[in-house]
Amino acid sequence: MSNQYVIDLNKVSLGYGNHEVLKDIDLKIFEGEFLSIFGENGAGKTTLFKGILQLLPTRSGSIHILGKDVTNTKDKTWLRTQIGYVPQRHHASRFPISVFDAVLLGRWGTSFKYLKRPSKDDFEIVEEMLNLVKLDHMMHQDCRTLSGGQQQRLNIARALVRNPKILLLDEPNTHLDMTSRDQLDDTIYSARQKYNLSIVMISHDHVHAEEVSDRAVHLRMGQIYGERGA
Amino acid sequence: MSVFELLSVPIFQRALLAAILTGACLSLLGIVIVVFNMTTIRFALMHFGLLGGAIGLAFGANPLTAAITSIAIGSLFFGPLSDKLKLDTGLIGAFFMTGTMALAFLIFYRTGVPALDVFSLFTGSIITLTRNDLYFIIALCVVIVLTFIVFFREIQLVFYDAEQAEWLGVPAKKIRNGLLFLTGLSVGVAMRIVGALLIDALVLLSAMAAMGIAKSFKQLIVLTSLFGVITTTGGLLFSMSFDFPTGVTITLTGVLILLVSQFFKRSY
Repeated sequence: MSNQYVIDLNKVSLGYGNHEVLKDIDLKIFEGEFLSIFGENGAGKTTLFKGILQLLPTRSGSIHILGKDVTNTKDKTWLRTQIGYVPQRHHASRFPISVFDAVLLGRWGTSFKYLKRPSKDDFEIVEEMLNLVKLDHMMHQDCRTLSGGQQQRLNIARALVRNPKILLLDEPNTHLDMTSRDQLDDTIYSARQKYNLSIVMISHDHVHAEEVSDRAVHLRMGQIYGERGA
Repeated sequence: MSVFELLSVPIFQRALLAAILTGACLSLLGIVIVVFNMTTIRFALMHFGLLGGAIGLAFGANPLTAAITSIAIGSLFFGPLSDKLKLDTGLIGAFFMTGTMALAFLIFYRTGVPALDVFSLFTGSIITLTRNDLYFIIALCVVIVLTFIVFFREIQLVFYDAEQAEWLGVPAKKIRNGLLFLTGLSVGVAMRIVGALLIDALVLLSAMAAMGIAKSFKQLIVLTSLFGVITTTGGLLFSMSFDFPTGVTITLTGVLILLVSQFFKRSY
């Protein structure tokens, strides 16, 4: 872990319509750090991610990613190559798609889109990531047959095929049993080691969050309430 | 007359070509309906057809052209309105279904257009297709096939995970709205071929059957088209052989394929 910030939030406020969800948030994440964010429902955890990803306009303050000011940026192309994002899983897709294709789609817009087809390099990166998340033996299988834990490992592989420097995970452990959760932790650990990733993970389980991460931040009613492991 | 003799007659040749084309291509839009869970959209679009037919008759225009134009225009509203009102497209369907029906009846009442004339638009037959109908079907099929070729990965991404698609920069809403527009046109054509009440046979059943068997998007496309062609051509040839109404035999073939597919369906 270095002293360089990969994410630097300076007095950031975010919200929807008339409702301000996050107020004057100051948060810095170091290069190579694993930070977890926990807090009750409605505390603003996912909103924070949306702000970092520029999916929500910043009402006040500034957001720097890898030293670059991205506050209310219109062009997210650069941001998409730097940040891998695994959103909260709401429901399993009803759509038939092979594990390989599902991961390959994560590279959309980098080397292929529309009539430009994926190259051999794309296929090699997908195989490398499937190997990392231990789903290489299932690459031709339909995603609908995967368990919840396997689905989440697939989502991580899909976020990593763009070779990002930062990985944002929104409650990846929700609804997983102990074995699947451990396997997911191993996957995240391996990815972090291999690619020197900086990771921010939202978790509803603060005990687990503190166990696996370097630092845990408690978000409450739109503000940082406390910090552990700093 | 035997089937082979019948196929030497231009109207049956046209019907066979239309059966193959619509079976292979229109059925692909059924995937859109199944994946987006928008089964009410067909009914809503048909009611747009009713409103269009009423307007056409009231103003002395061709009611069928007016109905299909109305369906095409109506299909453009689903996506944007669903986003704007933050409502499920199924609920938007219900809103349109009742709204267009009320407007159509208002037109019947004020202009004296006989409602039954408009409802007759809903009884179609593949045997009665004109040369112009066939040209329209060919053009629509070319557009559908090109859409699925050019936007293969993008459609796959939107179907699989629309949220990720948006984050990756895929114009997800434009793709969804474009597919809904093509679905509208397909429902209009299907109404002409099998009649309004049997549209599902042409647009929906093949996709439903393929969805349970396919393991990838490519397989889904191939199987849906294959089942679609078997449904339409099988139904047409059966109707010609045994002198049954074509809409009915096409529908029954589709239902049979769906039933058989359930034996091969994989459980998740």
